[in-house]
Amino acid sequence: MNTPILAVGELLPLFQWCYGLLQDIGLKSPWMEIVVYTLLATGVFCLLALIALFLVWWERKIAGHLQQRYGPMRTGWHGWYQTVMDALKLLQKEDIQVAIRDKGIFFWAPVLCFTAAFLAYVVIPFGDGLIVADLNVGILYIMAVTTLTIISLLMAGWGSHNKYALLGGMRSAAQVVSYEVPMAVSVLVVVLFVGSLSMQDIVKSQAGWIWNWHIFQLPFGPIAFATYLVAGAAESNRTPFDIPEAEQELVAGYNVEYSGMKFAMFFLAEFINMFTVSAITTTLFLGGWNGPFLPSWFWFLLKTLIMVLLLMLFRWTYPRLRVDQLMKFAWKFLVPVTFANLVIAGWFKYAGWYW
Amino acid sequence: MQGLRTEEFQVNMGPHHPSTHGVCRMVLTMDGERVLKIEPVIGYLHRAIEKVCENRTYVQCLPLMDRFEYVTSMATNQVFSMAAEKLGGVEVPERAEYLRVIMVELNRIASHLLFYGVTAMDIGAYTPFLYGLRERELIIDLFEETCGQRLTYNYIRIGGVSKDILPGFEQRCRKALDTIEAKLVEYEGLLNENPIWLARTKGIGILPAETAIAYGASGPVLRASGVDYDVRRDDPYSIYHKLDWKVPTQKSGDCFDRYMQRLDEIRVSIKIIRQALDGLPEGEFKAKVSPKFKPAPGECYNRIESARGEMGCHLISNGGPKPLRVKLRGSSYNNLQVLPAFGANCMIADLVAIFATLDVILPEVDR
Amino acid sequence: MGVLKDIKNLILGLTITGPYLCRHAVTVQYPEEKRDDIPERSRGVVVLLSDKETGELNCTACELCMRTCPTGAIRIKSHRDENKRKVLDSFVVETALCCYCGMCEEACNFCAIKMATMYEFSTTDINDTVWDMKKLQKYGRNVPYEDTRKKKSAAAEKPAPKPDAGKPAEAKAEEAPKPVEGAKPEAPAASDEKKDETNKGDEQ
Repeated sequence: MNTPILAVGELLPLFQWCYGLLQDIGLKSPWMEIVVYTLLATGVFCLLALIALFLVWWERKIAGHLQQRYGPMRTGWHGWYQTVMDALKLLQKEDIQVAIRDKGIFFWAPVLCFTAAFLAYVVIPFGDGLIVADLNVGILYIMAVTTLTIISLLMAGWGSHNKYALLGGMRSAAQVVSYEVPMAVSVLVVVLFVGSLSMQDIVKSQAGWIWNWHIFQLPFGPIAFATYLVAGAAESNRTPFDIPEAEQELVAGYNVEYSGMKFAMFFLAEFINMFTVSAITTTLFLGGWNGPFLPSWFWFLLKTLIMVLLLMLFRWTYPRLRVDQLMKFAWKFLVPVTFANLVIAGWFKYAGWYW
Repeated sequence: MQGLRTEEFQVNMGPHHPSTHGVCRMVLTMDGERVLKIEPVIGYLHRAIEKVCENRTYVQCLPLMDRFEYVTSMATNQVFSMAAEKLGGVEVPERAEYLRVIMVELNRIASHLLFYGVTAMDIGAYTPFLYGLRERELIIDLFEETCGQRLTYNYIRIGGVSKDILPGFEQRCRKALDTIEAKLVEYEGLLNENPIWLARTKGIGILPAETAIAYGASGPVLRASGVDYDVRRDDPYSIYHKLDWKVPTQKSGDCFDRYMQRLDEIRVSIKIIRQALDGLPEGEFKAKVSPKFKPAPGECYNRIESARGEMGCHLISNGGPKPLRVKLRGSSYNNLQVLPAFGANCMIADLVAIFATLDVILPEVDR
Repeated sequence: MGVLKDIKNLILGLTITGPYLCRHAVTVQYPEEKRDDIPERSRGVVVLLSDKETGELNCTACELCMRTCPTGAIRIKSHRDENKRKVLDSFVVETALCCYCGMCEEACNFCAIKMATMYEFSTTDINDTVWDMKKLQKYGRNVPYEDTRKKKSAAAEKPAPKPDAGKPAEAKAEEAPKPVEGAKPEAPAASDEKKDETNKGDEQ
């Protein structure tokens, strides 16, 4: 049977059944692949929507308990459907458009942001065989796609026709662009070590015991992990790097003119980005879906949620950096450190020293 | 960057803003990210307290004094009562003086805990706000069981205090002080050595001592710039001269020093309260004062050290039951007017940090 | 090295906030749970107290509270009956004007007005914030208080209440000019004079 490159592992019987069904209907490739991939993408999209809902609720509960209070409690048991209620509320809000000169850019900015956030999940391995498409340029594809958010920030700032939103959007874009460099170089360290850009290959190279994980590959592993996490937090505009969207600052962020569902798009995109950063950290450094006894997707989710918890702890513990301190930190500290790390990793690889 | 034409523009940090503590409007002249000129515009919270006081008897003025500066309303009650006592020649019993000192110092700790929380929140750390308020609850519970209210106490009256403390107050107070002292270590660990906090507050907004003195700043703002001046020690009133305590000062007058100064003052206040509790005498808690209190004609100016600085009350009496003129000197008014002198040429984010560490309370500015 | 010290301090911050995830919250889920330790002196809404035996209002319309109130929230109307004694016609408290200072309670010599510990009286209709005598008395019925008035004899006024205020006032009514040391029924003439004295604004 002509199964595509994925579908090894747990979902194989399900896919074989699907293909059998479609062949009985009379579909031939390429239509068969188109239908299957569309269904897969829809499935991943729904899963991510649920994850985003869960993450928003979880953030509020974690924030509450860190501050010795409860967080949402009224909507369901411990407020579990609070996010649904928030989404319904935002849907009802008036879509305010004040003297916008460029309606097209204003409209498409949140769409682009949302799309760019979701596009990365095509190559994220949720488990053994649970990946939409195991491209052989997996991690490079993710780097490319997450950069699309920069365009959406600039579009949001420009289309709002508000000089403060423009300033905020440009600051945000400058921040994201600056932190792309250490992020990419940290990823390069892992790629150098593994020898392949494909996500499943990276996970499989960490199979076995726990010391196979890339984070334990001293000395470049932990440094690459730390720099990737910090750069990833800055990418998704989380405290301590959330100057562009902090309420206490005078210049409002890029999303100040958006109301209702458009604002919700930006908001959800931020949480999806946070989950992306955690998922990639897990895949690259913490062994991905490897783990004993329990199903692989369980290990993936567990590790990713621990990373998400760490990012939330950062947000609720640390004050925020000023914009120039942020840029100085990126260019004067992170970039040299990551490049030095890359050189060290290259030396280790060349000399053949492995742990 | 020659040939690059830049333009200054004016931005209004309006009365509705999450980080101007109260309704303070500031018109900023900015060049990009840098603030060139700051012009505070006040008056949004003017309630004509001084004028209203002219139509109330002395005893009826006291609840109004609570609202003059509601975060340290024990101190505002005290400044007015002491001014009236000076004019009327009322002798306050010893126990009342000790109780006044205990309450005012507890209120100072509560105010500084609130400052800690709000400043951390303005600079981006949201969690210390809740921690500061949690400890402040302990003090406010003590106040509620003594005088009945949690914010506007109306406790210190002309001639003493309005109610005696309840029997178990001393134990509860000591327990609260022990808890606060232990938690202070936790607060300092959370922020003092944090590199992000240091980057945001060290070296930012340095207020030179001469500027502070020239503009009449007082309180922790002045002491953080290195000037060793405290009304409680240098112009002593009540029983402060009987207790053993030292005035803390800092060296450089930047934001971090103003923040550390207030944490040091919490420790000094705890020491004062413990000594006052040890030496609390028995006796009357209030002198007998008629509700138709009519002091002799004259005027007097009385000042005390409140949590924000020197708070004063200039009272003019014409012999009648109502004061002729009450003029209140709020320390935040003078502290705010220093802001344009040393706050210019900073970035917007620094301006937020400077304003937060000045600890300006707008009701005191606008009255 | 500076970098290692910074990292150590950042991790120290996490170790301070992190353990709070495992601790109980200190907040109370209002309105399902309420604080049960509201102090007795807590100044909530103004109520009128009634005699514990007869159920009539203790208020004698001396208007001291009205004169003491800084905001003018209390409005009293009274008239003198044939015995030249004041009779209370109406007693209105505007709770929207009340600033909860507690000075009316301190001014009263007859245990007639008190700030109860109740506080939940928000309403959407501003007319509900004006409380008349009936409402004030209704909410005051369940408020415990120490009866520290001078005990009058049965002849002219209410029957002498039982000596339930034997202890001197220490928790409240410190400004009562003559604290009661046990029940002492007095002659009506003497009590009339004392009442006139208190009318003229006594020591507070």
